[in-house]
Amino acid sequence: METSTIMSLLNMVATQTDAGITNETLISASSLIGAGICMGFGAIGPGVGQGYAAGKACEAIGRNPQEAGLLTRTMLIGQAVAESTGIYSLVIALVMLFVIGG
Amino acid sequence: MIDIEPQVWEMLGRYIGAGLALGLGGLGAAVGMGIAAGQANEGLMRQPDTQGYMLRTMLIGQAVGGSPSIFALVVGLLILFLPSGRLEGAHFAAAMVGAGMSIGLGCFGSGLGCGWPAGKACDGVARNPRHTTSVTSSMVIGQAVAQSPSIFSIVIALMLLFVVTAPDSVLLTFGMFVGAGIAMGAGALGPGIGSGQTASGAVHGTSRWPESAGLILRTMLIGQAVSQTPAIFGMLVSFILLLGVGDVPLGLMGLAVTLGAGISAGFGGIGPGIGSGAVGDAACQATAAKPRLDTLILRTMLIGQAVSQSTAIYALIIGLLLLFVF
Repeated sequence: METSTIMSLLNMVATQTDAGITNETLISASSLIGAGICMGFGAIGPGVGQGYAAGKACEAIGRNPQEAGLLTRTMLIGQAVAESTGIYSLVIALVMLFVIGG
Repeated sequence: MIDIEPQVWEMLGRYIGAGLALGLGGLGAAVGMGIAAGQANEGLMRQPDTQGYMLRTMLIGQAVGGSPSIFALVVGLLILFLPSGRLEGAHFAAAMVGAGMSIGLGCFGSGLGCGWPAGKACDGVARNPRHTTSVTSSMVIGQAVAQSPSIFSIVIALMLLFVVTAPDSVLLTFGMFVGAGIAMGAGALGPGIGSGQTASGAVHGTSRWPESAGLILRTMLIGQAVSQTPAIFGMLVSFILLLGVGDVPLGLMGLAVTLGAGISAGFGGIGPGIGSGAVGDAACQATAAKPRLDTLILRTMLIGQAVSQSTAIYALIIGLLLLFVF
């Protein structure tokens, strides 16, 4: 769809009190909402994955408490790696907020 | 330019809002009740003599697990038939869609979450019919706590229906109301599912090792409380969106900022809620098997849950940055 069509649709919904929608506002607004979508959906995977790792660690410590130190360390390393995609989302969201959107 | 009549906007909002409320809110509870019935059948196949206990446990589990869908029904009916006095036209439509999002997504999570403990309780009755009472009470406590995210989402939906006031700008109103609905609804989805998983681990543990029921209950309640933090983040952002938005820009930029904050804080809570619940599930079962290791397991559970919540905190930060910096 052309930008002009999107803008005429948005202008149709906007009332008298809203400022007219220009190309610049459309671009910054998309990057701001994109930052929200990026961080929101990007946070799902790491959360589930880290929880799974920690659950397995609890199970393993229940079976073999002597190795609790090793198991906790392994859990934390695994979670740190699983965190990486969350950090990518955070970086991209911050770029969209402060480089494109601002 | 097409002009849509205010009455048409109102009907549009009511129908979409009620559809979201009941379509999503009924889904979770229906699947959850099915899980309970499935496990009851499996248990009866192994132990046909337990049918009296089994029917009772299954029905209690389904009745408690079905309450989120009743919340969704009540709010859905309010969305359909509430007279539109305070808000009008497109503003009213935005409030109805936001309320539907909040109650629909929130009740979906809790309804699904309450199904797993009910299923595990039926399994436990077949495994160990003498301990039906302790299994059932552990199930009911777990389900009750797993429903609190759906109660948060009722609060936000009722605020959208009865309390909020709208700014003049239609786009900003849409962003605020739908953003608040998404922040609360999606934020409650993960914690509802996660707390249910934790409860299911606790019920399973209680049915196999009824003598450690007290310790399991403690681990379960702590695990569920921590796994509900993302729902609190979602509720915080909804409250800010509904009551405390200071000087956000009007028009399209206002829509982007408010809707973006709602999506970030809401959807960001799904993963951490489910993940923390999975940790709680494993920790409850481990505590049940080895009650003398309870402190060590509790510590590992809390470290694991704290790390898995980090992404929810990033999402909250992005949401608050959108609201207060732009």
